[in-house]
Amino acid sequence: MINFIADLGAIAVGKLVRIGEALLMLLQALVVRPKVSSFSRLIQQLYVVGVQSLIIMLVSALFIGMVLGLQGYTLLSAYGSEQAVGQMVALTLVRELSPVVAALLFAGRAGSALTAEIGLMKATEQLASLEMFGIDPLHRIVAPRFWAGMISLPLLVAIFSLVGIYGGHLVAVDWLGVYSGSYWGNMQQAVDFNEDVLNGMIKAFVFAFLISWTALYQGYSCTPTSQGISAATTRTVVYSSLAILGFDFILTALMFGGTV
Amino acid sequence: MMLEGIIDIRNISFYRGDRAVFKNLNCTIAAGKITAIMGPSGSGKTTLLRLIGGQLKPSQGQVYLFGQDIALLSRKQLNHLRSRMGVLFQSGALFTDLSVFENVAFPLREHLNLSSEDLYNQVLLKLEAVGLRGARGLMPAQLSGGMARRVALARAVAIEPELILYDEPFAGQDPIAMAVLQRLIKHLNTQMRLTSVLVSHDIAEACAISDQVILLGEGRVLAQGSPAELQASDDPAVKQFIHGEADGVIPFHFAAPPLQEELKGLNHD
Amino acid sequence: MRKRWLELSVGLMIVAGVSALIALALQVSGGNMSRNTQNYAITALFENAAGLGPKAKVTMAGVTVGEVVAVGIDPNALMAQVQMEIYGQVDYLSIDTSASILTSGLLGEKYVGLTVGAEDDVLVDGDVIEDTQSALVLEELIGQFLLNFGDNT
Repeated sequence: MINFIADLGAIAVGKLVRIGEALLMLLQALVVRPKVSSFSRLIQQLYVVGVQSLIIMLVSALFIGMVLGLQGYTLLSAYGSEQAVGQMVALTLVRELSPVVAALLFAGRAGSALTAEIGLMKATEQLASLEMFGIDPLHRIVAPRFWAGMISLPLLVAIFSLVGIYGGHLVAVDWLGVYSGSYWGNMQQAVDFNEDVLNGMIKAFVFAFLISWTALYQGYSCTPTSQGISAATTRTVVYSSLAILGFDFILTALMFGGTV
Repeated sequence: MMLEGIIDIRNISFYRGDRAVFKNLNCTIAAGKITAIMGPSGSGKTTLLRLIGGQLKPSQGQVYLFGQDIALLSRKQLNHLRSRMGVLFQSGALFTDLSVFENVAFPLREHLNLSSEDLYNQVLLKLEAVGLRGARGLMPAQLSGGMARRVALARAVAIEPELILYDEPFAGQDPIAMAVLQRLIKHLNTQMRLTSVLVSHDIAEACAISDQVILLGEGRVLAQGSPAELQASDDPAVKQFIHGEADGVIPFHFAAPPLQEELKGLNHD
Repeated sequence: MRKRWLELSVGLMIVAGVSALIALALQVSGGNMSRNTQNYAITALFENAAGLGPKAKVTMAGVTVGEVVAVGIDPNALMAQVQMEIYGQVDYLSIDTSASILTSGLLGEKYVGLTVGAEDDVLVDGDVIEDTQSALVLEELIGQFLLNFGDNT
């Protein structure tokens, strides 16, 4: 019994140590004077991390918006309130689904790619090589990817919301016959920029931070074997997803808990 | 205490977990020569290389590089020292997103301020030295293992360092590639007046080009001397390694209880 | 050539993201972006404010002119005190304006409807509306109906 508790304690301490290491890595990577040359690396990473995630975001947003429109219409018509489907779709997306779903997709696509890439660089000694050339791999490799993640995800979340709302419009107005004026009109009355859109964007930034940090740390600290890289990639997706959902609850409670 | 060589290792101990990789190791690498560090697997050859390069810090003792204790250096000073040294990693470690040309140009861009013309010429000259000038447009993924290693060599010598470390340069190479590498290592050492340190367990190849051999084992230096001296040595540990004997000072069997006790179905007690 | 495409696509993504944000601001949320500092506060006392809560609309002639900030109890009058924030541009509410708590639709949400009176002076920050009509509570309505029905038979 004592051993069990001791083991539990050891695991907890181990996790704390890992978080500490991750924090140190992040601080070391980010505390640097920005140079002109690092800008082109940032652009490169924005492409890999952001642009290449666009397709999955657009398609997912469209389908989610369409499903929301369909389900919303079905549910609301039981109360004779189909006209409210516009505000239902918009609020659901802007407050919750866009930041959370986009973040989960991002963690799976871009997060795992980042971890695998850095893990592979570690395994093929490219990181050690950079060190031996007198270059800090944290500044050269990790930092641009971090900022790319921080910039890309919020942009993608905004695009996600818009495309989703359009998807809802497609189903509700074009297919199911809701009056277009009501769709947009009710929506505009119900959605507040500060309360809803901005809060959703704040969530996006928080999620972007969590995903980028986790993905980069897992890649940087993995065991440099193929099994190690695979385990690290899995951990990135799992930890990011759990962190997103957990922080989503905390943020939602903070932001929307007051109004009932 | 006189620091004799370009690298001085004084009384270093290095632990990996509980296991002592080195205990009170002492050796000196002389300038201008090719020194081979050899030993069986697990004797810490690559670890020693990493200690020299400053990637690892010894638990005890000092590593002097160009006469300076590397543990006392700041990051900036360490990086400056590193610019006087080139490293050839076992896997070549070319940057996969850069072309052959860009890989070799990399240290030149980082450490020197050359005009684009001078840079271009330097890269071409270095690639010419390793015989791969025509491959400069290829990407690392398109190169064979041997070619990748030669490009990595060109990159390692690009800024004309004083010291170059080779981590298992002959491992897994076909006989032609090995001969090419041997020729290059020897040639570069003489032509560019380098000090070369190579870690290897290919006895024939390493001994053929080295001036000095350091044999590691059991956490310390087993023997040190010219290849001829080691070949003629009477020390059983040295003999086992140099002549490639399966069993001897370093045992064949991993530690285990007697076989009779472990087999099933026999009457014990 | 490859580099051109890279930079172009990153630029496009950033433009798309920022435009999406702007579209969300204007098209989706109706553009009420800032707390207008010219808005002013007025209060109204009701006998029964059942169902009215913060963020409910305040309308006049069916047009939104403000929103409910808080609903509480006035300890002196022992009535429901509804604090409202009226938009700055709406500066023509006479001091004898009446306020009613209405329901949008049969089962819909409660909101405050204002009807302007005949006086020349207008309401300013801090004024109280005295002429009020409370919320319709279903049980009271039924009770009243039964009472009337009982009277008639």
